[in-house]
Amino acid sequence: MGRATARAARDTPEALNAPLFRQLAERFDETQRHVVLDLGAASTPMLSLLGRSPSRVEIADLAAGAVIERLNAAAPGDELDALAESSLPGHDGSEPVDLVFCWDLPNYLAPRAASALMWAIAARARAGALAHALVVYAERGMPERPGRYVPGDDNRLVDRGVRAGEIAAPRYSPEAFGQLMHPFTVDRVRLLANGMQEYLLCLKP
Amino acid sequence: MFERGKKDDVLNDATDGRSTVAQRSHVPASTSYAGQRGECAVIGQSIQINGDLRGNEDLRIEGDVSGTVELKNSNLTIGKAGKVRADVYAKSIAVDGTTEGDLYASERVVVHVNAQVRGNITAPKVGIEEGARFKGSIEMDPDAVEKALGKVNMQRNTKADSEPQRARPTETRPAASKTVARDLASNSNPPAGAA
Repeated sequence: MGRATARAARDTPEALNAPLFRQLAERFDETQRHVVLDLGAASTPMLSLLGRSPSRVEIADLAAGAVIERLNAAAPGDELDALAESSLPGHDGSEPVDLVFCWDLPNYLAPRAASALMWAIAARARAGALAHALVVYAERGMPERPGRYVPGDDNRLVDRGVRAGEIAAPRYSPEAFGQLMHPFTVDRVRLLANGMQEYLLCLKP
Repeated sequence: MFERGKKDDVLNDATDGRSTVAQRSHVPASTSYAGQRGECAVIGQSIQINGDLRGNEDLRIEGDVSGTVELKNSNLTIGKAGKVRADVYAKSIAVDGTTEGDLYASERVVVHVNAQVRGNITAPKVGIEEGARFKGSIEMDPDAVEKALGKVNMQRNTKADSEPQRARPTETRPAASKTVARDLASNSNPPAGAA
């Protein structure tokens, strides 16, 4: 392999087989309507996937504009609750959210910020709503900024995020992560090939 | 001032600070404007419009528009310099600049890299390039799109019936671009910094 080819191979993000995400993706081949809250940035591949069924997608793009930093710095209580609510896109309440894509954002939120955010999400979600998340588990470090995940071939996940520096990963155990994401509860967990744990959580009535 | 010209002529006029409203522009097929092939009207960089903008031809906005934009059967491009604070209704919408308001398209909305969109999008097909900034909701259900576009038609008819004395809103017509330009200019606010 030539040097240029090797560099290209290293720079091309590897597609990640995430079975729980794939199962969710397959739901969008049906005609049923979904109301989706995406905490990440909008992307054409994701919208193409969600647009296969008559969906409504709410984009929060928490990684933009220092929202994460503001949430982590907010004083607990009313200030944090209000900030968590305002960091989500406007919601008229006519249709509750039934699916939430958290991606790897919970790794970057302080526990109290993550909790406030999940309570704000729960307030606009229906009972039985599902949430999908990726948690750094095997590695001690993680990229400085959240990833930018998009579905690729066969609904494998590709991280198009810019990898600059590295910071320590919180490496939540399933129990700790379950507490963090309350009132959503852990439904299923898978260990992925890249050392992340993939979670599917459910909002119990 | 309102002559037909190539796209480059329009941009040169804009840099000179002269009015470039609704001039004809030949847009190359390779550019990413909203479904435009050939001519389209252009609202130049120095123009500010405050009010309702309606028409039946393709339009590119490089200026500052506030109010409502209705190009139901045509394509709208909000260029890099374009700033739109309005609810927008069109066949397709491409955003390179900044928008604040809801975007409704019967075919598609494309948000290009470096664009900033604040508001909701209602369209059966939506594309958002990497680097574009968007926060809001995207409705992709074709029935909901049809409903939303139908609702605004009804609102407009009701409004027209209840306000018979009100001056007609600005309209762009393919066969009368010089008149259109004059109409648009008379409805426009002076450019920022003008007396």
